[in-house]
Amino acid sequence: MTFHEMNPTIKFLTVTCLMFGLAFMYNPWTPLGVFFGTLALQFIFSDVSWKRWGLFMIPFLLTAVGTLWTTLVFGKEASGEVMFKLFGNDVTEENVMLAVTLSLRVLAFTALSLLFTLTTDPKRFVYSLMQQGKLSPKIAYSVFVGFRFFPILKNELMQLYETHALRGVPLETRRDRIRHAPKLLIPLLAGAIRQAERIAFSMEARGFTGEGRSTYEVIPVTRNDFLLAALLVALFGVSVWAGVR
Amino acid sequence: MLKSWKLKEIVLLSILSVVFAVVYLAFVHVGNLWAGLIGPIAYEWIFGIWFIVSIIAAYIIRKPGAAFLSEVLAATIEMMIGNAIGPRIILVGIIQGLGAEAAFALTGYKRYDLWVLMLAGFGAAVTSFIYTYVMGGLSALSPTYVATMFALRATSGMLIAGLGGKILSDLLLRTGALEGYAVARRRGAHG
Repeated sequence: MTFHEMNPTIKFLTVTCLMFGLAFMYNPWTPLGVFFGTLALQFIFSDVSWKRWGLFMIPFLLTAVGTLWTTLVFGKEASGEVMFKLFGNDVTEENVMLAVTLSLRVLAFTALSLLFTLTTDPKRFVYSLMQQGKLSPKIAYSVFVGFRFFPILKNELMQLYETHALRGVPLETRRDRIRHAPKLLIPLLAGAIRQAERIAFSMEARGFTGEGRSTYEVIPVTRNDFLLAALLVALFGVSVWAGVR
Repeated sequence: MLKSWKLKEIVLLSILSVVFAVVYLAFVHVGNLWAGLIGPIAYEWIFGIWFIVSIIAAYIIRKPGAAFLSEVLAATIEMMIGNAIGPRIILVGIIQGLGAEAAFALTGYKRYDLWVLMLAGFGAAVTSFIYTYVMGGLSALSPTYVATMFALRATSGMLIAGLGGKILSDLLLRTGALEGYAVARRRGAHG
């Protein structure tokens, strides 16, 4: 029983519901509980690379810090004793509580998100959305086409760089290339749109109608999916209880 | 909703979503760098970037659902290629897409001039701001600050997404790649 095997649609719904629930909790203990609880569950029921987890976490630590001080400096007028002044704004006890809550919320959101992102294979997610979520195959297969498009786009981009270099645009350094990138957007898009048309025709030529279809990979719904979902919901319940108490 | 769609229109929608998912993700990192310094307001003035695919897709394809679907697809692909905001971003995409779609629905999917495109950018700003308000707990901030955030986001939605989206699509139209789509037919009929 791991989060890697969990049905992606059920996992998606559970994680999203938890985040929504968190948005209505205004005490620091609930997001704190969810944050550490999620880490514990991730530790027990997955083998995510913690190094990757840490790297993904860095930008959100920045966001959490930004949220913390924005809420302190630009906080609303709140009741309670004034604890200190920050850039001319009276910071009360309530302000501090709110600021800590909101920045912990950023961290709890991120932990939940990473639990989903790091244990979910995109292809299985789309298959599952099609099989359990009744997503139209037309859209699902267009997403797959989109995915297949990444290497094609990368090739086109390289070609564009080379042709522009041939015409004398200085593109030796990485900085030159980044600075020139916006000028490539239109030719890149134009090429991509032409490719899209060809791909659509060849899909139709091979008999793709976009109606319901059978698939080789079946994404099952098992009892374990509900068990893991229940664990996450229980974690949220305990955290809410700890916060409200 | 998809009955009247040709496959090539759906594939175009998906390709646009892929390209802009990459752009979106790049700007998330730009925003993040700022946000550590100046707080969540860092995202506001560039927020229009994240609505632009709705406007471009609706302007080119001109069918109900184009604005909504393209934004949701872009968000989904963004998540798959590594936006750590994760599943929440799909929800964001749905909400922004609905805001943009509403503007086109208001005109009965008949008008696609600059004002409607800017209205779509504004619509996406409104719905996405409601979401930010709830999820980001903006009620903790002073009303003036919140109003500034909203004004910045609305302006950005109208200018970057509305005006920018139109300029970009018109440039694409000039390359001739859009000959088979509604945007080119409309132009042919009316000169």
